[in-house]
Amino acid sequence: MSTENKRPTLRAGAGMSRELILLGAILVTGLFFTLLSPYYLTQANLEQVLRNSVDLAILSAGMTLIIIMACIDVSVGGILAVAAILIGRSYQAGIGDAGVIVVGLSAGAFLGAVNGTVVAKARVPPIIATLGMMYIFLAVLFLVIGGRWIAGLPDGLSFLIRGSVLGIPAGVFLIAGVYGFSYLLLRGLRFGQHIYAIGSDEKAARLVGIPVDRVKILTYTYLGLLAGLAAVLYVARLRNVEVNIGTAIALEAIAAVILGGARINGGVGSLLGTLLGVIFIKSMQNGLVLIGVSSLWDTVVVGGLLITVLIFDAVRGRSRAREGME
Amino acid sequence: MALLEATGIAKRFGGVTALDGVDFAVERGEVMALVGDNGAGKSTLIKVLAGAHLPDRGEVRMRGEPLELRSPQDAWKAGIATIFQELALAGKMNVQDNIFLGREPCRRVLGIPFLQRRAMRREAERLLASLEVEIRDTRLPVENLSGGQRQGIAIARALHIDADLIIMDEPTAALAVAEVRKVFAFVRSLREQGKAVILISHNIQDVFEISDRITVLRQGRIEGVCTTTATDPSAIVGLITGAGHASSRRGPEHASLPAQP
Repeated sequence: MSTENKRPTLRAGAGMSRELILLGAILVTGLFFTLLSPYYLTQANLEQVLRNSVDLAILSAGMTLIIIMACIDVSVGGILAVAAILIGRSYQAGIGDAGVIVVGLSAGAFLGAVNGTVVAKARVPPIIATLGMMYIFLAVLFLVIGGRWIAGLPDGLSFLIRGSVLGIPAGVFLIAGVYGFSYLLLRGLRFGQHIYAIGSDEKAARLVGIPVDRVKILTYTYLGLLAGLAAVLYVARLRNVEVNIGTAIALEAIAAVILGGARINGGVGSLLGTLLGVIFIKSMQNGLVLIGVSSLWDTVVVGGLLITVLIFDAVRGRSRAREGME
Repeated sequence: MALLEATGIAKRFGGVTALDGVDFAVERGEVMALVGDNGAGKSTLIKVLAGAHLPDRGEVRMRGEPLELRSPQDAWKAGIATIFQELALAGKMNVQDNIFLGREPCRRVLGIPFLQRRAMRREAERLLASLEVEIRDTRLPVENLSGGQRQGIAIARALHIDADLIIMDEPTAALAVAEVRKVFAFVRSLREQGKAVILISHNIQDVFEISDRITVLRQGRIEGVCTTTATDPSAIVGLITGAGHASSRRGPEHASLPAQP
C-alpha cells in the first residue's frame, strides 16, 4: 500500500509530501549557497531573485490549472512576446500606463482563448495545437519588430517591480493575488471541480454533463490573461522588448508545475507546490551564478530533477496499477 | 400513461445502425429489464434516455410531456438518473466530489458559484450510510476503492438526484455476491417508493429475480416485451439470440448467457 492511503486527510491526492520535499530542497540548496557565497543570503539578492521570479510565478499558476486538466500549453512564451510587442508599440503610439495594461491583458486573454478554442473544438492534442500556435506567435514577433529591439520605453510601471508597501516588495502582492485568485478558481468554485474532472477522466466528465469545451477555453483564456500580465511586468522591469523574449518560459513553467507535484497526465496538482517549484528553479539559477558556476548548469539541474520526478511518478503509477489488479 | 415513453428512436454511428426505430416504455413502480446481445443497442438506448447521445429520429416523453434531451443535465431535470456501466467516475477525485460531479452544491455570491464542501461531505456520508456502503473516508480518491464501493458511489449520485426513473447499466457485472444483494435491495426499495427502474443485465438469473417486465433488443430493434412471471429464461434467450421461437430452445443450458468478453 502506498503511503497516500494511510494519510487520507490529503485532499485529492495532492501530496503534501511533495511540497515538504521541495521546501527541504530549497532550504538545503539555500544553505549550500549561503556557505559558498556571502552575497546569497542578503536582502538585495533575495529581492533580486523575487523580481526575476514574478513573471514565471504568475504564468506557472495558470499552467498548473492547464496541467491538472490534462492539457499543456507550450505557447505561453509566444503569447507573452506578442503581448509585450503590443505594449511596446502602444507606448510608442502615445498610450498611457493604464492603457498599455489593458492592451497587454486583453491581448493575452484573446490569444489564450484562441489556443483554447483550437484545443477544445478542433480536438487537436494540446501539445500539437499550442506548438503550432507558438510558431505563429514567433512569426508575428519577427514580422513586427524585424529582429530589432523595442527599446527606451517609459518607466511609468516600474513600481510594479521595484515598488514596495510597508517594506514588502510589490512582487509579493502580485504573486499572492494571482495565487489567491487561482486557488479560489481551483478549490473554491464549481469551475475548479470541472478542471479536476476533465483532467481525471474526460469521458466521465462529458457523461455527467460538464461543459468540457467551455471549461477548456476558459482555462486557456485564464492562462493567456496571466501571460499578458507577465508581459506587462516584463516591460515594466526591462523597459524594452528583445527578440528572444519568452523563449524559455513555457518550459520553465511546465518544469515548475511538475516539480511541484502535478501529474503530467492530469487530475492531480498543487498551486503551493508550483510556487515552491518556481522558487526552487529561480533560487538555483541565482545561486549557481553567485558561486561562479556556468548558468548552463542550472538547466542541467532542473532537467535532471524533472526526469527524476517523472520516473518516480511512473514507478508509483505502475505499482498502484498492480495493486488495483489484485 | 407510462412514466417514460420513447417512440421511433433511431441512432446511427457512421455506417452502423445502433437503434432502428425503437419503441420503449416504463411504468411507475416497475423494474424493467433491458436485455440483448452485445451490440444489440442497449447502451445506445439508455445513453439517449440519459441525454448523453442525441437520437437521429424519435421522441422521448416523460409523464406525457415531450423531452428535449440535449445533455445529461436535461435528463436530470426531467427526473432521469443514469448509472453508466463505466460508472462515469473521475478516479483521481475523492468520493464526495464524485457523488456531486456535474451537480455540485453551490452558494451563489454575486452570481459566482462557491462550492459548499462541508455540505457535500455531510450529504455524501448520509447517502452512503443509507445505501450501507462502507467507505472509511469520503476524501479518498475513488481509484483506490473496490468495485462495490465505486458502484455504491455511482448509485449515491443517482440517489442524490432524487429521480423518478433510475437507469442502471450492468450494475452487478463487477460485484461480489454480497454486493449484488445490496444493489438488488436498493432496486426493490426504489420500486416500493413508486419509482421506475431500467436495468440492463447480461445475467438472466438476475433479470428473473428482480424484474417485473423484460424488453429484448436485437440488432437495434425491439424483439419482444414480456412480463417476467409469464415467461421463462429459455424463451428470453431465444429472443436474444433470434434463434427461432422459444419453444424450440428449451433447456437448462440456456438459463444464462455467456459472460461478456
